[in-house]
Amino acid sequence: MKLNILLLLISLLWWENAAFEKGLKPIRFQIKNAGITVDGTLPDWEYDIQWNAKKLSECHISGKANPATIDTGIKLRDKHLQGRQYFHIEKFPAITLQSKKIVSKGKGKYSGIFDLQIRDVIKEIEIPFTITSKNSQLIFTGEFTLNRLDYQLGEKSMVLSDDVTIFIELVNYKEAQQP
Amino acid sequence: METKPRLIVLLIFGVAVLCLSFIPIWQQYYPEIPRIWTNEALKDWELPNANPAYSVEPVTEEFYYALPERVIYKTYPVYHPDYEPEGYWEWLHKQDAQIVFDASQLKTEEDWIKAGELLFNYPIDTLGAVISTQHVRNKEFYAASGMPITPDGIMPFVQWVVAGKGKVYLGNLSCAMCHTRVMPDGSTITGAQGNWSGDKAFAYALESDGASERAVQGITSFLFSSPWVKGDPHGKLLASGKKEIIDAYKAVPEGAFGRQGTSILYPPQAPNLIGVKDRRYLDHGGLSQHRTIEDMMRYIAMNQALDFLNFYGDYNPIGLTKERLYNGQPIIFPGTYDRHSDAQLLAIAKYVYSLSPPENPNKTSALSEKGKVIFAQQGCVTCHTPPLFTNNKLTPADGFEIPEEHYNKYDIFDISVGTDPGYTMNTRRGTGYYKVPSLLGLWYRGPFMHDATLANLEDLFDPARLKDDYVPTGFKPHDVKTKAVPGHEFGLYLKKEDKEALIAYLLTL
Repeated sequence: MKLNILLLLISLLWWENAAFEKGLKPIRFQIKNAGITVDGTLPDWEYDIQWNAKKLSECHISGKANPATIDTGIKLRDKHLQGRQYFHIEKFPAITLQSKKIVSKGKGKYSGIFDLQIRDVIKEIEIPFTITSKNSQLIFTGEFTLNRLDYQLGEKSMVLSDDVTIFIELVNYKEAQQP
Repeated sequence: METKPRLIVLLIFGVAVLCLSFIPIWQQYYPEIPRIWTNEALKDWELPNANPAYSVEPVTEEFYYALPERVIYKTYPVYHPDYEPEGYWEWLHKQDAQIVFDASQLKTEEDWIKAGELLFNYPIDTLGAVISTQHVRNKEFYAASGMPITPDGIMPFVQWVVAGKGKVYLGNLSCAMCHTRVMPDGSTITGAQGNWSGDKAFAYALESDGASERAVQGITSFLFSSPWVKGDPHGKLLASGKKEIIDAYKAVPEGAFGRQGTSILYPPQAPNLIGVKDRRYLDHGGLSQHRTIEDMMRYIAMNQALDFLNFYGDYNPIGLTKERLYNGQPIIFPGTYDRHSDAQLLAIAKYVYSLSPPENPNKTSALSEKGKVIFAQQGCVTCHTPPLFTNNKLTPADGFEIPEEHYNKYDIFDISVGTDPGYTMNTRRGTGYYKVPSLLGLWYRGPFMHDATLANLEDLFDPARLKDDYVPTGFKPHDVKTKAVPGHEFGLYLKKEDKEALIAYLLTL
């Protein structure tokens, strides 16, 4: 418990000093509902990256997303997802992600251990991601799956899958800005 | 000498086996009959009113069990005058009363269910609570009220009760009155969303009996007044006078009914009881929790007019004070001076649980399979979750703030779908919520929406219904020409062929 609080404080301190940039491509997610894949996005999000491929121990990736902007194509469903039984945006206005450790998995491939906070639940997750370079930009692409029930997003359902797959792509980080 | 002890042991063993083998049969013969109206059980059974200061305070356990138990007489069908067999009326008057319910004679589960069926059809009122003998024996009544009858000319919503030779009374207020549906082919479905045109029938009764304005206002107040509600819409209706009130009754379509505690301004769709065993809340506003068969028994007891004795804050619908209610003198008002025994309630509940739908004529097809996919794609499954086609949750109406403690007490789906909040915000039975309805049996039901405003499923998916110039195809209030039917804005903008597929699927459920 004490360790959690300490980590949270450290994170908050770091968070204060982070220089966030807007994510250009919406965060996408997919979830099965009655056998049908529902696609959704979180268009309003931002990130901060301290990246040096040669010094992964000094790298840091963080991001925060605004769950009030969730979009599944059905407005009333989005409103419900914003409510207290899902993201509870009034109380928890941001979803945050912070890296703790990043390791190389081969050329352009990495894996990061992150703290993902949704609502008031912080859980450690592993996100594999790739980095490609295009027009002087580094493009970070990551995909991971989480169990929504771990984060108190809704309840067990006969039709709605527990697992949600999330797709994130950062496209506006310039290589020239690398430390 | 040596064989005697062996014989005794064998005899004892034999008797023991015999006794043991009887235990399950004995249990089946005499199911445990719960005492349902206890002060303890009543504490948290019903949800609070949308305005919690006016939540239901039912009669006490002591009062309830002091009421005499109902005697159940044999009943006889009521015919349209053109169909009544010759000499039937005279024959009825020659019949002796026959008491037809005796719990001690119920030997099997099937016996209980059969007895429940009899009680389901048994009218608890012979005082003319809705309509009387002179009405149903008059052809005009059927034409004026649009009352459905079977091909045999039977009006299955009321019964003749014979309480003795020459004592033939028209019986109202059976469960079957609101939960029997005469289909277009003349067949009847028991337990379905009923299509008795009760409010039109009541309007006919008031007019043909020459009820005074004061009488019309009085009975309408008993039925629907909720003076604490903002704007007091029922008070305004009463003040509008006899003609307006009668017009309001006439505006309620078949398939809806202004039962006591509800409204003819926001008339509830008559509920479909087929499948009710699996539903967690009863009433459109989810007023009563349904956790066990005891809850169902309580609901039956309460809703066959005992709720006229409820207090809502210091308000009682028939003008009682608590001193008068509890002074030991009987209250002669339909449904309030006697009660079903717990055994009778158990039998009815068992019967209601046993109801099953008739075979659905709409079979699965390529079109309906396409509709099934659309049903999932459109997110319908979230609320109308298979296999019950409801998630059994309560959704708040517009204008209702969910109290914090409700999240842990009830099954809440905390988003309003924007349907008309009138019923649940402005009536005695209103809780601020609507329960998510099951879609099972849509093929034999209608009109749709909680207030029966849409006659057909096609209307539900017609975006024109959101506009103020829309003419509702189901219930339309008596004092307007047009009215938007808001809310539940799903599937409105699907392509025509997708709507057809979705409806084809819905009709297979």
